[in-house]
Amino acid sequence: MKIKEYIESGILEAYVLGSASEAETQELMYLKELHPQIQSALYHLEVDIERMAEYMAIKPPPDIWFKLENDINELVKRPAAEQLSVSSNPRKERGSRRKEYIDVDSKSSHMRVHKIWRWILIAIFILGKIFLGFAIFFYLENRQIKEEISNLKSELKQLKTEIKR
Amino acid sequence: MLNIDQGAITENKLEGVRSLYDRHAAKLLGYIFNVVKDRKLAEEYLVSIFCEVSNQFDDLDWDGSWCQLQRFAKHKLLVFVDTAEYINLGNGEGLNVHHSREPYFGQLTKEQKHIFSSVYYYGKTIAAISIDLDKTEDSIRKTLKEAFAIMRKSGEN
Repeated sequence: MKIKEYIESGILEAYVLGSASEAETQELMYLKELHPQIQSALYHLEVDIERMAEYMAIKPPPDIWFKLENDINELVKRPAAEQLSVSSNPRKERGSRRKEYIDVDSKSSHMRVHKIWRWILIAIFILGKIFLGFAIFFYLENRQIKEEISNLKSELKQLKTEIKR
Repeated sequence: MLNIDQGAITENKLEGVRSLYDRHAAKLLGYIFNVVKDRKLAEEYLVSIFCEVSNQFDDLDWDGSWCQLQRFAKHKLLVFVDTAEYINLGNGEGLNVHHSREPYFGQLTKEQKHIFSSVYYYGKTIAAISIDLDKTEDSIRKTLKEAFAIMRKSGEN
């Protein structure tokens, strides 16, 4: 096999980018051990792809690590059987992907809900406050009216007694 | 005794994940962002991927390289790619990856960009792309190699 042609074929690039087939990967792993040129070319490609990724990097917010640490600690506390199991083979064909996800029946005390509930709960809270405001307003108004009525009644009584005299 | 061992194992695992996180989190967030195109969602995927890394830390033979982590992340992101966010893959419309860093991608032809994005961001195989574009697998690999060479050159300048 002509090593230069093999390197030029683009198989190394496909492997580094994770799209080489199982057979291509096995062949490459075998040839890599035999030919230092392939090993070196592969190393340089990996350096290139990492450099490109560095160029496009976005610094994560500082609180992300703490969130991650909490999640990891929570996962560790759970019994092993409850932990999410995902296939570790990253190079499977697209057609077989759907079978790789396993239903998780965890006893975790936490629950994930749709994001829409955040807005629904905020709306309920705001509406609750508005109704409470109205209730207080009408209560005070009602009390004021009652006081006015009792004042009017007493004035009326006074007027009646004065008229009788 | 068991608790102490468990604690030590957890501590070691956390240290290992932390080391990977320190080295690659920014790169991974940039990569995920280019797939999902939403900063908040990208951060959620970042956490979930590192949780998976921690879960499988002892099973997978982590060499700490970016390429290994990127391939692992790509596999996890295929769930996202398979959903409605990626409905137009077949005609290429779904491949409008937001290349915020034009120096790397600006010099690629439309086809090179399409092939590179399909492979790097969306995990399509060479065989699948060759069927989509009605070209031989060899020519797809060649185009990918050319794209890589152009990007390498752009990165060096």
